[in-house]
Amino acid sequence: MRPAPFEYVQPRSIAELRSVMESDDGSAKVLAGGQSLVPMMNFRMASPTRLIDINAITELDYIKADGNTIRIGALARHNHILESTLVRERCGLLAQAYGHVAHHTVRNRGTLAGNSCHADPASEMPAVLLTLDAIFHVDGANPRPVAASDFFLGMYTTAVGSNEYLREIEIPMLTAGRRGHFDEISMRQGDFAICGVAAVVTVRNGMCSDARIAYCGIAEHQFRLTEAERWLEGRNASAATALACADLAASSVQPGGDVKASSEYRRHLVRVMTARVLESVFNENGLERT
Amino acid sequence: MTDTGARRWVGKSILRKEDPKLLAGKAKFVDDIQLPRMCHAATVSSIYAHAKILAVRCDAAKALPGVIAVVTGAEAAELSGPLPSRANPTVTQHCLAIDKVRYVGEPVVAVVAETRAIAEDAAALVEVDYEELPVVADMDAALEARGDAVLHPERGDTNVYTVVHRKWGEVDAAFANSAHIVKRMFRWPRVSAQPIETVGAVVEYEPATQHFFFYSNMSQQMMASGGLAAALKVRPSQLSFVPMYVGGSFGGKVGVYHVAILAAVLARICCRPVKFMEDRLEHLLNGNQHGSDRRYLAELAIDANGIFTGLRCDVVDDYGAYFHLALGAHGNAAAQITGPYRMTAVDYKVTAVATNKTQQGPYRGFGGEVANFVLERLVDAAARQLKADPFELRKRNFLRPDAFPYTTPTGNLYDSGDYEGVLDEAMRMAKIDDWKARKAKQRGNSKRLGIGVATVCERSVMNVTEFWFFEDKPLNPVSSSPESVSIRIDVQGVPIVTIYAPCWGNSPETLAAQLTAEHLCVDPSTIVVNYAGTDGGMLSKGPAGSRFTVMLAGAIEGACQALLAKVKAVAAHRWGCKEEDVAIDERGAFMTAGDGHVMTFAQIAEASYLYRLDFPKGDRFTTGLAASYTYDHPCATLPDPKTGDLGIFYPIVGHACHLVLAEVDTELATVRIVDYVAVHDVGQVVNPMTMDGQIRGGIAQGIGTVLLEKYEFDESGQALTGSLADYLIPTACEVPDIRVSHFTTPSPLTSLGIKGGGEGGRLASCPAITSAIDDALEDEGIFITELPVTPSRLFDLLRAPASDRATQESPAAPERPTAVEHH
Amino acid sequence: MSEKLLVSLEVNGEVVEQETEPRTLLSTFIRDSLGLTGTHVGCEHGICGACTVLLNGVTVRSCLTFAVQANGGKLKTVEGLLRRDGSLHPLQRKFAEHHALQCGFCTPGMLMTCEEICRNKPAATREEIRDGISGNLCRCTGYQTIVNAVADYLENPHD
Repeated sequence: MRPAPFEYVQPRSIAELRSVMESDDGSAKVLAGGQSLVPMMNFRMASPTRLIDINAITELDYIKADGNTIRIGALARHNHILESTLVRERCGLLAQAYGHVAHHTVRNRGTLAGNSCHADPASEMPAVLLTLDAIFHVDGANPRPVAASDFFLGMYTTAVGSNEYLREIEIPMLTAGRRGHFDEISMRQGDFAICGVAAVVTVRNGMCSDARIAYCGIAEHQFRLTEAERWLEGRNASAATALACADLAASSVQPGGDVKASSEYRRHLVRVMTARVLESVFNENGLERT
Repeated sequence: MTDTGARRWVGKSILRKEDPKLLAGKAKFVDDIQLPRMCHAATVSSIYAHAKILAVRCDAAKALPGVIAVVTGAEAAELSGPLPSRANPTVTQHCLAIDKVRYVGEPVVAVVAETRAIAEDAAALVEVDYEELPVVADMDAALEARGDAVLHPERGDTNVYTVVHRKWGEVDAAFANSAHIVKRMFRWPRVSAQPIETVGAVVEYEPATQHFFFYSNMSQQMMASGGLAAALKVRPSQLSFVPMYVGGSFGGKVGVYHVAILAAVLARICCRPVKFMEDRLEHLLNGNQHGSDRRYLAELAIDANGIFTGLRCDVVDDYGAYFHLALGAHGNAAAQITGPYRMTAVDYKVTAVATNKTQQGPYRGFGGEVANFVLERLVDAAARQLKADPFELRKRNFLRPDAFPYTTPTGNLYDSGDYEGVLDEAMRMAKIDDWKARKAKQRGNSKRLGIGVATVCERSVMNVTEFWFFEDKPLNPVSSSPESVSIRIDVQGVPIVTIYAPCWGNSPETLAAQLTAEHLCVDPSTIVVNYAGTDGGMLSKGPAGSRFTVMLAGAIEGACQALLAKVKAVAAHRWGCKEEDVAIDERGAFMTAGDGHVMTFAQIAEASYLYRLDFPKGDRFTTGLAASYTYDHPCATLPDPKTGDLGIFYPIVGHACHLVLAEVDTELATVRIVDYVAVHDVGQVVNPMTMDGQIRGGIAQGIGTVLLEKYEFDESGQALTGSLADYLIPTACEVPDIRVSHFTTPSPLTSLGIKGGGEGGRLASCPAITSAIDDALEDEGIFITELPVTPSRLFDLLRAPASDRATQESPAAPERPTAVEHH
Repeated sequence: MSEKLLVSLEVNGEVVEQETEPRTLLSTFIRDSLGLTGTHVGCEHGICGACTVLLNGVTVRSCLTFAVQANGGKLKTVEGLLRRDGSLHPLQRKFAEHHALQCGFCTPGMLMTCEEICRNKPAATREEIRDGISGNLCRCTGYQTIVNAVADYLENPHD
């Protein structure tokens, strides 16, 4: 399984990258970590005639604080992000969720930006980024910020168009009282999710507000379940609430079925995992279970 | 030595001879071979499961720079005949499909180029026109298919390869007189060995001598020479095989010749060495070695005392598009079809069908693991039905130690055993009462514990009659399954052992050294072990069917006896004494009476090699210290077609008991193995460390079969498991620590009482793990009859109405041919 | 498109220069161009881990990396674990002592992964070791003896 031939371009700066993209006919693919793209190329499911390797653009490799946000450059590797003190302290959900993502070696090369652009429907981090209200800074033909809820459009489809690349992911830091958790069921350790749930909720005085609940592995793309989020508004942060919200979620989703898991099982997991994740979020805030 | 029964080296966990080069990355696997002017092959595979090939256009591919040859099925057929097959009547398969394709992934065209990448580029330029035919996606479709849906119309208007129905003992009476009958339908999934190294071959053809040199990891080259030579339309003397290190086989590289044959044909066409390595996709779809794919309707007859009296199996087996090993895997199951139990009556019917998938080949157990699963499941079901304790019920039915040697209803022999002893040891190791207490504590919780048990025989030392003894008129009733070894003591007294079989990871060098050390009384670290291919001239069946260690031991014993006779002759002549007065110990040869004469092996070797005229004429004192020995199966007999007795074909029978403590999360429908005890009786263990490795590896594969693995296809025959992202083999997180112990009833038939144990881990783990899952869910009345038990499927079981859970008998089993149909 | 590019890198301490096509996988480059066949190929889609090597100090799946991407970098393969005198690295010796290999095909990749684990997590528990090697498939051993070898090495790194 060897890839088809391609022209290889390795820009060394953002300026060079923009220039390369501008002159491209739209068929080039960006190579960052390669952990999703190269297997597809080896299978010849993807045979780009031109590969733009951005790994030399060191100015894209950053994880930095900027006021109340964390800015993660296109080349930031998964392992650097999960090990980053900044991330652990100011957006712990990212680091916690990484425990379910692939394996250490894959995370050495893989990038959060690349993972997001590949948009495998069962990938964990897109669901997490949805709950964090991440902003995706697309660059190239039409530089613009894209809200997370507008970024993941379909199976392997995002808002990044041809002659464009994802330059940065901007993530608001979690404020006091705002916590998140992620959990999933997969067939084996490190596999993609059969059903993954991310939730971020502000809990003040035992009351929930501003909830974000997102899923991966159950549909054509990761998505937020806004009915469940709205329902949670103003409810008390208790075990009973978690269960009730989970029931609502389970009845609201239309999960797909495949050889790994039936639609009914996924729906069941939505119920069980939503409850568990919400309970974890509530418990992190140190609130009693009623 | 063996005289006193005390062992010097056998039974010790010495470190492996194989390791230094494997660890350093220096061992040569097939893909490591680089020959001058070597070129690379890739194939164009069928995208349809069943189709006529109307036209093939190769011009664009041939024109690509770097392409050396593009070969169609018709062109390959000028230089090759059908692939070896034991089917009778034959089922014709070519290395490249000629008129039609019978599964997705079947190779149609081969491309040879300067690099594999260019070969794949060219393969993408080949155009094939297909006319689709009806797809036979599963066994039920196979049973009904006629006309265009028939895969091999030259064999008749049917997709049934063969039907065999045999009865042994008074089985109808057993069922008629039974107090209880346990009846279930079981579905065993299609899985395979999936070694980390795929099958490959580098073949060089020398036109001047018309000779082929094979570097390949496919196995049994010696025995296969005949079939392979015929496939290549040459004589066996035109083939030389060089043994390679093999990156795992577990049976999956046995009898798998398509890669080597295609590489040989291409080498001949190109007049350059050709390397053809299966990539993982080819291995998954076109490997010709998927495991058993069976549906059983199985019944156990039980008398009023809870004694099993009879077993009925009606099996449909989906063999895929070809049938090269015929009913070998059912013959294999017949070796121990009644397991460790005393019952004397068996009714066995098998219907082998063709579907549009790659064909079956061996996978650790070769059908025996399926039979064990079915029988142990029936026993568990019986325990429930009779409200009996599953441990006690088994003990009640075990063959007793005084029953051996025991002839099974089918005619096979069990040489020795103490099944109750093994079970008791397992229960003691597990601290079974602790397990029961833990289980009781979690009863009714969302996370429940279950205790699973399986007590299975592990037949070993495969013979070959199982491939044909079900035929009414056997086409090729072969009965040879030898193993050879050559041992010499060199001029400095160093023993050098040459084995003729490849290393699969089964530690042949280490075992050969230990066994030789035992007989020669030398330290195994001083022994050199090397490999020879077919040019060495000695016959070797190689590893398969848990035979290698036993056969190697017999060959080494024979060779050492011959060597030591020579050593004693030389010493006796030197000392002027009788040969009976010379014995061997760590010092070498010594005179048993008085004088204190000692000669080291080095001294004896020097005398024998260099000073011929110091010794009398005659064969006794021929120059040199070398012996080769071919060891035949120690106890095998032919079947008796008149009585239906299958003969003795797998008489070295070990036994294993696995106890599993599993936790089922009823909310998530997931399974976690909490504790695992495995007690294996494989007779005299040569190296406990490597034996434990085989057991743990087999259990890991059992975990895969029970919880994770399955080849899935859609109704048009397209593979839904087309990569290792879909075909899930266990990672380190899915295999827990396993406690292993040995129990020993030596074999009376083999050298040093060794029994084979390479397959035991898988032979016992599948029913044991399944049993534990059931046990955790006994309050739900769950009884598992189909694998794998994925979370989604366990969820379905937990949600099924109670009435559907326990029996799981067939919803309308389709009609099957009742008469034996041969064409 | 099949223009070859010059790849210059340090391999197991030695500087090497070789021309290759951009599409050449690092695994192919290591095995065919450099002749270092200790690194094995099991799947070519990044799942089995047999091709694992160290690139610039971290493990990568060489089947998912293009050789040209290693230009200017430092590559370490299983051959580079050997001591200068050709003797085995202590971790390799532990593998032998604990029977952490049978066929040896997954072993080079497994060793590189374990080397990284031991460097990053010298106090790793058995569970952490298991998790750490979960991206390397082994079909022979059942993993327990690999965990034993690594755990022993962590406790006794100077054996």
